[in-house]
Amino acid sequence: MIEVVKAGLETGVQDFPGRYGFWEQGFPPSGPFDMWSFRLANLLVGNADDAAGLEIQFLGPTLRFESETLIALTGATMAPTLDGVPMPQWESVAVPAGAVLETGFASTGARTYLAVAGGIDTAPVLGSRSTFHMAGVGGMEGHALKDGQRLPLGDRAGAGRPGRRVRADCRPPIPAGKEWRIEVVAGPNDDWIDEAGQHMFLESAWTLQARSNRTGYRLSGPEWTFAARATDKGPEHGEHPSNILDHGYPVGAVNLCGQTPIILVNDGPSAGGFINPFTVPSAAFWKLAQSKPNDVYRFDLVSVADAQAERQRIDALCAEASLEDAG
Amino acid sequence: MIYDEPRFRPGGDRFIEMELGDELNFDLNFLVHALTARVREARLDGIVELLPNMASIVISYAPERIGYDDVLREIGALHGSLGSLEDVELPSPLYTFPVLYFDHLTRACWEDYCARIGEKEYDPDLMVRLNALESRAQLARIHSGTEYWVAALGFYPGLASLIALDPRCRLTAPKYNPPRTWTPKGTLGYGGSVTCLYPARTPGGYQIIGHSPVPVFDLEQRLRAFRDRLALLRPGDRVRFVPVGREEYDHVTAQVESGAYEHQVAAYAKFSIRAYHEWLATLDMSVRF
Amino acid sequence: MIFDEPRFLPGGDTFVLVQFGDDARIDLNFMALGLTAALREDRTKGVIDTNPSYNSVVVEYDPDLIGADDLERELRRLIEGLGPVEDLELESRLAYLPVMYRDPWTKACVEDYAERIAPREGDPEFVARINGLEDAAQLARVHSGTEHWVVAVCSTPGLPLMVALDPRCAITSPKYNPPRTWTTLGAIGVGGLSTSIYTTPGPGGYNLIGRTPVPLWDTQARLPAYRDRVVLLDAADRVKFVPVEREEFDYIESRVADGTYTFNVTGYQRFSVRAYKAWAASLDASERF
Repeated sequence: MIEVVKAGLETGVQDFPGRYGFWEQGFPPSGPFDMWSFRLANLLVGNADDAAGLEIQFLGPTLRFESETLIALTGATMAPTLDGVPMPQWESVAVPAGAVLETGFASTGARTYLAVAGGIDTAPVLGSRSTFHMAGVGGMEGHALKDGQRLPLGDRAGAGRPGRRVRADCRPPIPAGKEWRIEVVAGPNDDWIDEAGQHMFLESAWTLQARSNRTGYRLSGPEWTFAARATDKGPEHGEHPSNILDHGYPVGAVNLCGQTPIILVNDGPSAGGFINPFTVPSAAFWKLAQSKPNDVYRFDLVSVADAQAERQRIDALCAEASLEDAG
Repeated sequence: MIYDEPRFRPGGDRFIEMELGDELNFDLNFLVHALTARVREARLDGIVELLPNMASIVISYAPERIGYDDVLREIGALHGSLGSLEDVELPSPLYTFPVLYFDHLTRACWEDYCARIGEKEYDPDLMVRLNALESRAQLARIHSGTEYWVAALGFYPGLASLIALDPRCRLTAPKYNPPRTWTPKGTLGYGGSVTCLYPARTPGGYQIIGHSPVPVFDLEQRLRAFRDRLALLRPGDRVRFVPVGREEYDHVTAQVESGAYEHQVAAYAKFSIRAYHEWLATLDMSVRF
Repeated sequence: MIFDEPRFLPGGDTFVLVQFGDDARIDLNFMALGLTAALREDRTKGVIDTNPSYNSVVVEYDPDLIGADDLERELRRLIEGLGPVEDLELESRLAYLPVMYRDPWTKACVEDYAERIAPREGDPEFVARINGLEDAAQLARVHSGTEHWVVAVCSTPGLPLMVALDPRCAITSPKYNPPRTWTTLGAIGVGGLSTSIYTTPGPGGYNLIGRTPVPLWDTQARLPAYRDRVVLLDAADRVKFVPVEREEFDYIESRVADGTYTFNVTGYQRFSVRAYKAWAASLDASERF
C-alpha cells in the first residue's frame, strides 16, 4: 500500500494503453497522456506494459510507502526527494518500508510518471484502471488522488532491480523553453477550411490557454477562414461555418469550436457537432502532455505515413534496449 | 445526400473518418449502422474500434497491424457488399422509460437558470409555441407518441442522441445560449431535432421538458440492466417514453433507489428498413397526436 | 405437447383444421401464424380463407378447385418450407393502446355482477392477490410492462386474444363462474393466461382490470385508421398498453367521438422467434415490474 500524505494538484492512476472497446458508448481511452515516459517508467521497475502507475500533473503528491519496493519517476523534471534526500529521475530506485516520497513542482515539462513494482492495483473498470475524471470512472474511486487515501499495489512479478536508467537519447526530448513544434496530419475535415485558412493555421503561433486539461487543449491565435462547404450546407449541420452534422471525433483532433481550436486529448468527447480540420498524431502526444499554459505551438504538416513511422520509432524506444546501468 | 462512394479522410495516424453522406436522414443512419455491424462481424485484424454517428463512422485502427490503404480497401469492399439498403434488417431492442413531463426538478433547474444566468421562457411553453402546438398536454402526447431511434452515442458516457421514427412526432427546439451550468440527472432534453436523457448531472444546452427516474448510465452497476454494461443504450436501439403521474413516478423512483427496478425492454424485434419505408408511406402527415 | 407431425382434421367438406399441438405454448402459435403467412404469400389455388388460433389453423377451401388430399399435400409442403420454429420471422405491427387501469366503468360492471349474480371482490384486487402482487397498482405496472402477442382475432369482431411476451409479466386467473351477462365496451379482461379487449358489450368471463377508450373495429370507416381495414389488429401483431389517467382518457374519448383520433401503430418490425427465445431465456422470470 501507498499512503497519500498530500495529493498534489491532480494526480491520477493510469494504465497503458487506456480503456479500449467502449468508445462507441462515450468512454474515451484515457490512459497516460505521455505514453512514452509512462512506458519507460514501467520498464525501469520490471513491470508488464499494462501495469498501472501514477500521472502527476504540475504539482506532485507526497506519498508514504508502507512496504519496501522499487519505483521510478520519468517525464517532467521535478525535484523529488526520498526521506528528504534528492532522488534521481529516469532511474529505478529501491524504497525502504515507511519511506516518504516528495515530488514538488514540475520545472521542465508538465507531467511526471511514477511506476511502482507490481503496479497500482485499484479495481479495473471496463478493462482498465485508467482514471476518467469527468465521469468518475476507474482510478481511485473515479477521480484524482485525495489526501489520506491508500493505494493498493499488485504483486511484484517482474525482474526489476535498482540502478537501471533510461539512456539519455531514448527519452522524450522535453524542451526547457516555451516553444514547441507539433506534428499535425491534415483532415478529416480540412476540406471545410479554405487554402488561406489552412496556410494561416500552419504558419501561425498558437498559445495554449490556461483552461486546458486532459479533455481538451484550447488554443489562442488568429481567425479562421472557411471553404464553400462550410457555408453552403444543409440546416442540420448548424449555422456557424464550424458546425457539422454530429460525427465522431478522432483522439487528437484539432476541433474547431467557432473560432477556438481545441485539441481533443485522452479524456476528450467521442463525438459532437464541430469540424476537425487537422489531427495531432499519437506520436506527438508526449509534447502536448509536457507543455504548459502559455506555451506556444507551431504546427508542422506531416503525412499519415510519416506520423505512423514516428509512432513506430517511439514504440521501439519503449524497450529494454533503451535501459542501461546507472554508473 | 448519400454519397455514391464513401469518402475516407485521415484523422491523424490511427483514425479514419468515413463519410457516407452529409445530411440528417434515416436511410443514411441505417446505412451507417448496417455497415458498422458488417465491419464488426468481419473482425478485420487491426480494426480497434468503430464510432458510428449520424452520417459517418470514425474508424480507429492499429497502424502496426493494418495500413491506411488496407483499411480503405477492406471497408470499401464491405460497403460494396452490403446490397440494397431496403433488404437490411437490424436487431433493435425497444426500451420503455416512464417520464413525468413538466416535472418539479426541471422546473427548478429552469428557475435557477433564470435567477442566475438570465430570464428565458419556460422550456415546455417555448416548445409549444415554436412547434405551433395547442398545449403542454399535446407536447407530451406528441413527444411520447413515437418510438425513437438511437442514432448515435457519445459526448458523455451513456448519452444517446434519439430521433423520432414517426415523422408526425418530430419537433424542433433551439439550444440554450449561454448553456446551463447544470442539468438534473435523468432530465429529458430536446435540441435541434434530437431528444435525449441526461445520463448524469452535467452542463447542457437542450430545452428540458420532463424527467425520468430510470437511469441510462450506472457506474455502480446496481440495477440488473447494468450487469454487463455501464451505459444502457446502443446505436440502433429504440426508445419509447410513457407519461406517468406523480404517484407512479415516485414509485419508480423508490424502486430505482432500492435497486429493485427492472428496466422495460423487448429485445426480439428486427427493424426492417423496407417495412419502415412502407409504413411511412401509409402515414397521413397532416395529423398529430 | 407439440405433435411430431401436424395433424389434418376435416371440418365438413370445405374446412380442414391443421393442428400443430394440443396446448397453449407460444411456439405452436408461431407455427400456426407462420403457416397463415405462407398461405397468404403462396396464394394456393382453392384456398379461400384462414383462421389461425392458439395451436392450429382452420383452412377454408373450395372443393371444386382443390381436393382434400391435394390441399393436405400443399399444406405439408408449405409447413416443411417453414423450417424449424426458430427460423420463423413474422411481420408484426406494434399497436400502442391507451388504457385506464382500475377505471370506474369496469368497476361498476363488476359491482353490478356482485350485487345481482354472485358476491366477489374487485377484479384488479382479486387478480393481483392470486398472482402474488402487492396491489392493483403493481398489476397495472406488470400488465403494461410487456408487449402482448396477438394469438388470434376471434369470437367477436376485432377481439384480440393475447398473451404476454415478457415472461416476467405473465398473469394467470380463473374465469368468472357463472359468467357475466354484460361487459363494458372496451374493457380489458384477463383470464387463464390471456388478455383480451371486449369489442362488443356482451357477456364475458374474463376478469376486468381496465378500459381502453379506442375502438378495435369500425365498419363505418369513421376513424382514419379504418379507411382500409375493418379491424385494427391481426394475428401476429403486438399490443403495448399505455396507462393513462382520467383526463387523458377523456381527451382520447373526445377525439374518437369527433372522428379525429389517430391510432399509434408502428409497422416496421419483424418478429424473430430465435431472437425472442434468446431474449426470454436471458430473463429472470421471478422478477416483476
